[in-house]
Amino acid sequence: MVFVKNWEDFEIAAENMYMANPQNCRYTMKYVHTKGHILLKMTDNVKCVQYKAENMPDLKKIEKITSNLVGHMASKE
Amino acid sequence: MVLLDNSNFILRLEKIANEAKDNSSFTITFKRYDGHDRPVPRPEKKPLPKPETYMCLMRAQFKSKKISTVVRQGDVPTMMAMYSQFMKSKMDGLKRVKKVKSKAKAAKA
Repeated sequence: MVFVKNWEDFEIAAENMYMANPQNCRYTMKYVHTKGHILLKMTDNVKCVQYKAENMPDLKKIEKITSNLVGHMASKE
Repeated sequence: MVLLDNSNFILRLEKIANEAKDNSSFTITFKRYDGHDRPVPRPEKKPLPKPETYMCLMRAQFKSKKISTVVRQGDVPTMMAMYSQFMKSKMDGLKRVKKVKSKAKAAKA
């Protein structure tokens, strides 16, 4: 799948994908406790970028990017 | 798909997280929502009104149960605070990274 190794690259790619097409983009996170990871995916129905977060410090980064994206989504234009 | 209000959505999410701990996963999706609840009309008919402000649609799915909620612009900070709290408390199965104190060890030796 289209996994990105670097957190910064994923953040930038997700942000760009959303800015290019806000109406068609969706951001998904899947938590699997037994395997201990969170799978993040940002797609615009044409392309997608994914990131697999396995460490605790990544959780804060995920919170930040989620707040950022939700702020963009629920805004005036 | 059950549409809930923001606080109930988080409460149900917490229940889902507890159930999913042993052997399954749950997914949360965020998407921009323009408030349209009718299908797009034919070209000759009146088009749907352009929204003044957009909202955020949050969906969660666990096995075959689905819940959703709509977050309006004013509720974003509250909702994100609740969601962050939820993430910190429930998504704790990740690895704890130990800081390699090699410099301290080298200094001692």
